[in-house]
Amino acid sequence: MIPVNIVTGFLGSGKTTLLKEILARPEFSDTAVIVNEFGEIGLDHILLEEVEEGVLLLQSGCVCCTIRSDLQETIRNLQKKVSDGEIPVFRRLIIETTGIADPAPVVSTISTERVINKHFYVGNIICTVDSLTGLSNLQSSPEASKQVAIADRILITKTDIADTIKRGLLENTLVRINPSASFRNSTGKNFDAKHIFLDEFRDPATRSDEILAMLKRDASLPKRMKRETSAHHHEISSFSVEFSVPIDWVAFGVWLTAVLHVHGENILRVKGILDVRESNTPVFINGVQHTMHPPIHLDQWPDENRYSQIIFITRAIHEDLIRRSLLQFLGLTTEGYHIQSAVDQTKLFN
Amino acid sequence: MCGLCGLMGIEHWTETSANSEAFISDTNRSIRNERAHRVELINRALGPLKMRVRDFQASSYTLTSATGRTEIVHDIQSLWVAVENISACPVDPLDPDYLDHLFGESP
Repeated sequence: MIPVNIVTGFLGSGKTTLLKEILARPEFSDTAVIVNEFGEIGLDHILLEEVEEGVLLLQSGCVCCTIRSDLQETIRNLQKKVSDGEIPVFRRLIIETTGIADPAPVVSTISTERVINKHFYVGNIICTVDSLTGLSNLQSSPEASKQVAIADRILITKTDIADTIKRGLLENTLVRINPSASFRNSTGKNFDAKHIFLDEFRDPATRSDEILAMLKRDASLPKRMKRETSAHHHEISSFSVEFSVPIDWVAFGVWLTAVLHVHGENILRVKGILDVRESNTPVFINGVQHTMHPPIHLDQWPDENRYSQIIFITRAIHEDLIRRSLLQFLGLTTEGYHIQSAVDQTKLFN
Repeated sequence: MCGLCGLMGIEHWTETSANSEAFISDTNRSIRNERAHRVELINRALGPLKMRVRDFQASSYTLTSATGRTEIVHDIQSLWVAVENISACPVDPLDPDYLDHLFGESP
């Protein structure tokens, strides 16, 4: 299976600079790249394809469930060129979206197109954020906030020319919008490309540390701060739901599929580890809007805590409703789950 | 159901059998048992809409409305689409009124 990295980020945030830098590195020499348009910064790369916007709306789909027909065709053409010997075999595919694009249809295309998903899977979604203009973009543009909310990795660019206070404010905002993503800084050339692109949840060697870091980031945020962020960023908010007893995977699946059917467009991300009755060890779940990736088995718990913790990043959906609904579908009482606000209150005064 | 799904063996992410490496337990349900449990839970969720679902040969589900209209669906995701098509309103687990109807009979 070939990993597909989606590089998103607002206009001028440094997506093409990032691509130009990594394509010069030997570890990315067998990477194919699909761009929406050939930009001003020339990319000199043998495996470069341009794609023009075109969409197919699935029968049951909302915007995020569209199959990008253009992308579908471009990926299939790439494979055909490889089999015809026109281009070398590639072992990674990077898709760069336009600055105002919604990355969700790209995820949907890779995950649901029945030929493509036999050969490709969605790897890390990378969002570049300009340290100079990022904060104002997040406040003024719903697209910019959504790109951050969907990302697995956030690369804060131009950090060498931004002042420390502005950078600090931006980082605080980003982690509140998306505590499930990890952050790295970039000055154009110096950044951790391995972490950004290569380390991923599917890799058994690194995923335990990844998941632990993600859960810790989320747990460190007081609920009050998340609510304040939601008010200023297009009603996007994050929260986590925790269960102290093993849950019924089948009931969880019934609940989540029904929720995503109606509200998938506004459930921007679902990530977490579950203590399920059907497994002695935790199960990792990961989804982008309507698209859920196959659950992953973890060999062990990432730390001494043994309970389910699910992080939701939603738009205009209140966490109390998610909690009440999930609890009811799982047939649990309030004793079966942790109330995050109690934890938050403690942290606020420490 | 699309015939291609059966041919290509595409299973939904909620099926433990599709992710056997992820669900490792001494108390694992059989496929038939898991499907029976899923049907029971879905039927509770469909209660307020007066619809019923049944397992069809451990490969599909049949959805029947109060008027007897029936559809065959391949997986649970297609089921929610069919429910909305037949009843003109979806099962919305985040609708407080719907949850009130389920109160006292949690799935």
